[in-house]
Amino acid sequence: MPQVPTNIYDPVVVAHPSLWHQVGDSLSDSMHRSFVKLASFLPGVLSLLIAVLIMTGVGALLSVALRRILVKINFDERLNRNNNASLSDFSPAHSPTLLVTRVVFWGCVLLGFVIGISALDASFSNSSQVSIFLLPYVAHSIGALFLLAAGTILARFLSRSVLIGGVNAKLQYARFLSLGVKWLVLTLTGAMILDHLGIGGTIIELAFGILFGGIVLTLALAVGLGSRDIVSRSLERSADRLPTIDPNSPAPRPTPTPASNLRHF
Amino acid sequence: MANTEAATLPTPSLATPSSGGLLVALSSTSAESLSATLATLAEAFSGQSVLVISPDDLPQDEALGSNLTFLPPSDTAVTAGSWLLTPPELLGAFRQMALHGATAGLVLGPEAHSLAPAVLRSLADSVLSGGADLGVPDYQLGPREGLFNSALLYPLSRSLYNAQPRYPLALDLALSRRAADRLSAAVHKTSTVANGIFWPVAEAAIAGLRVEQVEAGTRTLPPPSVSDLNTLLAQIGGSLFADIEAKAAFWQRSRPNQPALTDTRVATETDEPADVQALIEDFRVANTNLREIWSLVLPPQSLFGLKKLSLLDAPDFRMPAALWARMVYDFVLAFRLRTLNRGHLLGALTPLYLAWVASHLLVLDSGIPPEQHVEETAAAFESEKPYFVSRWRWPDRFNP
Repeated sequence: MPQVPTNIYDPVVVAHPSLWHQVGDSLSDSMHRSFVKLASFLPGVLSLLIAVLIMTGVGALLSVALRRILVKINFDERLNRNNNASLSDFSPAHSPTLLVTRVVFWGCVLLGFVIGISALDASFSNSSQVSIFLLPYVAHSIGALFLLAAGTILARFLSRSVLIGGVNAKLQYARFLSLGVKWLVLTLTGAMILDHLGIGGTIIELAFGILFGGIVLTLALAVGLGSRDIVSRSLERSADRLPTIDPNSPAPRPTPTPASNLRHF
Repeated sequence: MANTEAATLPTPSLATPSSGGLLVALSSTSAESLSATLATLAEAFSGQSVLVISPDDLPQDEALGSNLTFLPPSDTAVTAGSWLLTPPELLGAFRQMALHGATAGLVLGPEAHSLAPAVLRSLADSVLSGGADLGVPDYQLGPREGLFNSALLYPLSRSLYNAQPRYPLALDLALSRRAADRLSAAVHKTSTVANGIFWPVAEAAIAGLRVEQVEAGTRTLPPPSVSDLNTLLAQIGGSLFADIEAKAAFWQRSRPNQPALTDTRVATETDEPADVQALIEDFRVANTNLREIWSLVLPPQSLFGLKKLSLLDAPDFRMPAALWARMVYDFVLAFRLRTLNRGHLLGALTPLYLAWVASHLLVLDSGIPPEQHVEETAAAFESEKPYFVSRWRWPDRFNP
């Protein structure tokens, strides 16, 4: 507050706070705001933990009960009898019962996470900056992680399937095909993740379209040019099979297959 | 054949259950094949009462032996077009044996009419009077037939279960009543698995049954239900590996202690040298492309062996028996550990098997009898068994 001079000729002295005092006030205010936000954040985290723990317990109980019921009704045998070999093959220890109980357990754990994240979301006010910017990314990043894991597993599975199938089909370019399939799936996964996180906007869609189209075009050109001779030979064989116009021309002889006289079983 | 005997043989008796004796269970087959099989049976067991059961309608107008008694078709589910003995067929036979008090059973697969009457008689005698519980035929096949059996089924069966039968997955079996009683639980368990294959020799070894091999001569083999080799290898190989996994507690304790069979078969002349160039080229392509996948399953030593093999010229292309045995054992272990998807695993085994086939054919072309090479392969499986047991027990141990 400026001191009122008794004499009009006296200098006016204004009590300005020092610079350090202002910095200290600013930091104090910032810390206060941060602690307030953290205090409002902690109950949400706590509710997330409690939700996950409770749902894990519920999942464990449900899976134990379900396992007993399925064992009692001979679920594995019934399923195998109905030709569900693929399910048995994917199941741990060839037991669909084990698969079902594990799916139920992890489903409950996942549900606990969903409930917890909802509680975390509700613990913030709508005007909170953290709620606006952080929470969508927390929820989306979980989905993105799932997408990444699923995409990676799928890419590896498909590339191996194509590689082994190609080699057993005696294709020289099996490895190239396998790599193409792998990178197609990985590119698709990457684009889906970025789109899911909302990063990049239309740039991602455009870039993905160009990249994906480019890979497909490259593959088509490579396979087309690489197998030009095979295609032409195939067409020639097809033409040979057609009835010949010239009756004096020799009939095409079947190509002998080297391993045709082998009997494996 | 049946028509020529029509005048001499009286009409068979119809569905009069009796106790004791032999029961013959036939697989589903064509009418002509069924008639021929019945005629062979009548000839083989002339003067002996035999109960016959078949899922097909037994011909009433055909002239067959009076010693055959036809039982009504059982309610056993029959797999259409099956080329192997299926668990439901075996279960049906066991049930009928118990129902009619038969002391022995003869289960005959498709195309059984190609077996000689004396062979059927010998098979039945092995369990009726020979004291065996399980009679397994020893077919005489050509040098280029039954290759998967020679490469995998027989060596694994011999090394792991000490079982001598040359065809562990035989199409025809003779069983005593004791064997039927003991094996029925295992067959029932197999029947609950879709497309399950029953391995009679392995089960008999575990049950402590006495197994006898019977010379069976030539036999017409029915064509497999699937023509694709990769699918077939995956089907049979997958079933075999799963069976080995299930019986680990038994074969880890057993040790090879039986002498190898002396081959009494007449060597069959091959008409011309085999063209194995394509097989070798396919292996080289696989060696270039599948090394990454093989490296998940095979140790560096085996990978090095494969690399050396791929560099050999066609006339010198020989897969060492020890290398083949170790690779098969490593694949069985990977099947158990699920190192990679089981379909992929069995697909990755196919080029290695075809490389063994190429090597086998070249060995035969060099003048070595086929049975000698198969016996050498089986002996290698026996000598490498400690490696397998060790890896099975401690799969994470350092394995150069």
